[in-house]
Amino acid sequence: MSEPRHSAYGVPTHPAVGWDARGKTSAPHRDAEHGWSLSGTFAEEADVARGSRQALCLWLPTFELRLELVRSPGLDAASVALLSPGESVRRTVWQVSERAHDAGVRPGQIVSQAVSLCPTLTLLEPDPAHYDAATEAMLEVLAELTPVVEPAGRGRVFLGMDGLGRLYGSPVRQAERALRSLFRIFPSPLVAATRAGMAPGRFGAWVAAASARSGAPVIVSEDELADFLASCPVSALPVDPLAIQRLERLGVVTLGELRRFPEPSLVAQFGEEGRDALAWATGRRIDRVRPFHRPRPIRVSLDFPVPVGLAETLHGALDRLVERALSRPTRRGRSVAAVRLGAYLEGGGSWFVETVLREPTSEREKIAFPLRGKMAISPPPRAVETLLVELTRFGAPSTQTSLFDRREEGGRAADGRDLARGEVPFSLKDAVKELKLRLGHSPLYRVVEVDPWSRIPERRHALLSFDP
Amino acid sequence: MSDDPRLRPLGRPRPVDVRTDEAGEPTHVRLSGRTARRVEAVRERWRIDDEWWRSSISRVYLAVVLDDGRPVTLYRDLLDGRWYVQKGE
Repeated sequence: MSEPRHSAYGVPTHPAVGWDARGKTSAPHRDAEHGWSLSGTFAEEADVARGSRQALCLWLPTFELRLELVRSPGLDAASVALLSPGESVRRTVWQVSERAHDAGVRPGQIVSQAVSLCPTLTLLEPDPAHYDAATEAMLEVLAELTPVVEPAGRGRVFLGMDGLGRLYGSPVRQAERALRSLFRIFPSPLVAATRAGMAPGRFGAWVAAASARSGAPVIVSEDELADFLASCPVSALPVDPLAIQRLERLGVVTLGELRRFPEPSLVAQFGEEGRDALAWATGRRIDRVRPFHRPRPIRVSLDFPVPVGLAETLHGALDRLVERALSRPTRRGRSVAAVRLGAYLEGGGSWFVETVLREPTSEREKIAFPLRGKMAISPPPRAVETLLVELTRFGAPSTQTSLFDRREEGGRAADGRDLARGEVPFSLKDAVKELKLRLGHSPLYRVVEVDPWSRIPERRHALLSFDP
Repeated sequence: MSDDPRLRPLGRPRPVDVRTDEAGEPTHVRLSGRTARRVEAVRERWRIDDEWWRSSISRVYLAVVLDDGRPVTLYRDLLDGRWYVQKGE
């Protein structure tokens, strides 16, 4: 077991980047709900639904830049910087090669600053479609090793390894097997640069991977976890960055130093963040790897006979694509919560913008409008050969719409707005009658307009007891 | 509206923990029962000054997106200086 190294160039300082809420939320008393176990043992049976306690983290630093260098081997010896996606006015540097780093170029610098520091700098436009395809391929290959695969941003993935010892052997062999499987999709330099760390829980596995050298997995056993984490800097904790800043200002630099404080003192100073920090630092909190369930996105695309740069043409195509996507049977009545607009560009490369809708909707205009805004702020850098729309996240489908069906008309009431007495569907009346028998009163309410044009949101609507 | 016991107002604001930077811009939001999340982007902002003739209302609204993708509408009450979260906006 090697000591953690955290000075590695390009290492994110906060392991929670790209993690979902499960890994960094909630107080210990809610651990069971979130899949953490404070008293579980390593010998627990593998349970895919609850996630895997033993975690293997595979991490390929500067994943996107390395993919570009594989695509253009001539740039290996050059100073290269990948531009950040989604910006057009003030382009900044996203990732830099080692040579560019040596010249003083850093992620986050604006382009003019980077070029002045390194006049020979080669700037690359990002190609998100290429990176996403590589990520998908990585996940597919790793899913053949274990059913519990959880991506954590591009180039980093957690594998649940509970119960795989009999199949693949010791933890070292398991990590090596996972690395070897990447040879099927990535060339040798990319696999060689991949770091692997295995430990109980994602946090431990991530710290292990961040401290590993290329090709030499770091394995941390249950007994070693607390000691291993002791030398880890507090900046690795998945807690509020402000709490980390305060800890550092107080001279608490490593998790070992943090562990010397009694829990009540930390709670008094930092509230729940202090309790969380101590649980992570002592290795008491184990965040399981959860199998990743992502709804299959609905993708539609339109090929232009000649590359298009005119915004009006792209807007028209966007409207038609959104309509086509919404009409796909695979949507199954679900509303749309997030949508992605992308393009394959003339001369190669791709461009993407994404938006999370204010509220899930199935209306074309409500979906297309924010995308047009994003396109105006960050237009495609070159003419577009293919425009595509992806519905990536969905709202919950309504499962009781039959309650609002009017048998007389054979159609659906207009959102229940006209459910005045006499117009209430029989199915809904029956449902209310049953509820009243059971509860003694009707627990249903109707949304009524009180002052719909008020500028003050709480004045606009109210719930009115509904008892037809 | 509250005189009728059958009526329940919708979209009432709830106090929320918000951390701000030196400029007063929200950087982290802790929704009830959750841990603090970083504010990824401020999508919109607007101000409401109303009802000065009775109980004055003065709010600065912000439509923000948190780092887990959740869109949240916040406002800072300029009278009591506290932050609130509000649905339905």
